[in-house]
Amino acid sequence: MRIGPPLLAVGAACAGLFAVFVPTWNLPTKGTQLGPNGPSLVQYAPTGSPIFQTRNGPPPANPPLIADTRPATEVYKNVTVLTDLNAGQFMQLQQAITNWVAPQQGCNFCHAGADFASDAKPTKGAARDMMRMVRHLNADWKEHVGEAGVTCWSCHRGQPVPAEVWFTRPPHPEGAHMDKPENWNEAGDSVRQFFPNDGYELYILQDTPGLAQSYTALPSGQAADQVVVKRLYEYMMQMTSGIGVNCTYCHNSRAFFDWGQSLPARWTGYSGIQMTRDINRNVLLPLAARMPQIRDTADTPHDIVLPERMRGPQQGNGFVLCASCHYGLPKPDDHAADLLKDFPGLKGPGRAHADAGPTTGTSGGLTAASQGDQR
Amino acid sequence: MPQFHTLWTHIELRGPDEAGPPLQIGSPGRIGKPFHSQWLGRIGEMQVLPTHLGPTGVASLLCGFIAIEIIGLNMLASVDWNPIRFIRLLPFLSLRPPPAKYGLDPFPPLREGGWWLMAGFFLTAAILLWWVKMYRRARALGMGTHIPWCFASAIWLYLVLGFFRPIAMGSWSEAVPFGVIPHLNWTATLSVRYGNLFYNPFHMLSISFLYGSTMLFAMHAGTILAVTPLGGERETHQIVDRGTAAERAALFWRWTMGFNATYESIHRWLYWFATLVTLTGGIGILATGTLVDNWYLWGVKNGLAPQYRPAPGLPAAPPPEALKHMQDKVLGR
Repeated sequence: MRIGPPLLAVGAACAGLFAVFVPTWNLPTKGTQLGPNGPSLVQYAPTGSPIFQTRNGPPPANPPLIADTRPATEVYKNVTVLTDLNAGQFMQLQQAITNWVAPQQGCNFCHAGADFASDAKPTKGAARDMMRMVRHLNADWKEHVGEAGVTCWSCHRGQPVPAEVWFTRPPHPEGAHMDKPENWNEAGDSVRQFFPNDGYELYILQDTPGLAQSYTALPSGQAADQVVVKRLYEYMMQMTSGIGVNCTYCHNSRAFFDWGQSLPARWTGYSGIQMTRDINRNVLLPLAARMPQIRDTADTPHDIVLPERMRGPQQGNGFVLCASCHYGLPKPDDHAADLLKDFPGLKGPGRAHADAGPTTGTSGGLTAASQGDQR
Repeated sequence: MPQFHTLWTHIELRGPDEAGPPLQIGSPGRIGKPFHSQWLGRIGEMQVLPTHLGPTGVASLLCGFIAIEIIGLNMLASVDWNPIRFIRLLPFLSLRPPPAKYGLDPFPPLREGGWWLMAGFFLTAAILLWWVKMYRRARALGMGTHIPWCFASAIWLYLVLGFFRPIAMGSWSEAVPFGVIPHLNWTATLSVRYGNLFYNPFHMLSISFLYGSTMLFAMHAGTILAVTPLGGERETHQIVDRGTAAERAALFWRWTMGFNATYESIHRWLYWFATLVTLTGGIGILATGTLVDNWYLWGVKNGLAPQYRPAPGLPAAPPPEALKHMQDKVLGR
């Protein structure tokens, strides 16, 4: 009696039953074709990484709006950013910011005790930077945020430091004879999240062209360095992971470089990269430069400015990336469009107006440029 | 009469230890005390050992050991000599070639690729010495040298990836890093960087030979197993003296695909398919970045790939003034 074949058959049947019933199958995979036939420009449903899912949810209920139409600058002392609000709107927004950013810490996270006008706490200065940033983004970055806009809730989701940030790599120790590893993300739950973030600064802090592929079939000296392309690859993986899409959401993966074969979403994505650079360079980098002084003067500096787990190896603050707002969804689940209707203070007049002071002689040029927005 | 079985080998020969032919004078001795294993007999020969190293084998193992030590200790150092982190992160750890700024400098700083060059040197020496050992053993046994030359084809691809192409491109940074996931990452990056390697005709050939090898191998092994009860496993005998096994095997393939290989030619098919995988692959890699910069565009130019039309209502490129406006915003102009 040959026992091999029956044993093999039973084993195969068991393996088959295991494969069918034990894993959580989510079939059929739903895909929408967004482009012409051929390039397979198919968008699959957002993958919904569990790491991100916990952050998505409705914002806390709005605080009540008190009818007080006097200008905020008359009623409150030391108002420098939200100068265009009335006192009622101002107070409602202040309470909402507390709910969005520091629900546990309360007003005292930024304000020094009962003296609300005091600038003693460094977090207040950081909050002002953040308010200016949100107003700038909603006014000047329509290419990316559109009419939906962004709010404090978009990134913070109830935490003083947003959950999704990245840090620059510390300088290599002098005299070391061996290299340090790239900081692979050991906590990732999908292959797209494992990639190291060493290269993010090339694209969303510095000004490295996102060019990987040559525009010519034969060598023209244009193809980028292998390591730089690797960084770009990792950066794009961050993008797909943070937004919950695949490459073909924007690109024809046979010809990544070709705008003509890409989808309109690529333009939104490209403007998002530029917007993130704007935030990191012009808001968070200056903030990082101020951090050491902040830490020296604060009572419990790390609690106030950055909790231990949120500090990078360089002891600076983190920088933002796609997931900071998107949390794994192509369209962030941040209810920003509704919140912006309720809180007009979150949208500024736009940079062209803000910069029209005597220090900048180019306001005319900027105005002309921002009209280009209305394409 | 032992029963023939397709799943594993049932015929196991247990006899006195086979020591091999007598040693030449001055040749180093054989290593290892022979023993018999019934379980190994299920998949191969029951007798294990002795083996033969010889001077080239010893030198090869030594060089290989040095290379693995350099790679492993660099990886261990990179996680601050923490063995637990070393094991957890092992798939991700790497030893990388020098950055592009060092070009073909043979002595870059140790931490910036110097160790990589050393590891590469010793690994290459180990592989080449092993080739010499294989060639010498084949000669010593009076065999043909088919196996060393097939191995040489694989070495060709290895040398293209880590030596010839970096030299042609003028920088060690073009070479492959050591490391499990990092070298896969390198592969994906290379393909993206040069406009998708699938449009590279030599890559196409290499893949065809690779898949063709597995298919031919399955066809051949299946045929021989199927006619073994008829005496078909005596392949060299059947080449010159066809029996019913060879006739039936030939008929089977003639009746299913109209044409059949012979007991002799099937081995040449297999040999060349396997050898050509890395031979053509190496040519394809060597041409990438040196002769062709974007394989997709090369394919479009040569009628290999379609130039897909833009999606309806989409400009071929973003308006330059919109791009400039965005740059201005970022740079605060």
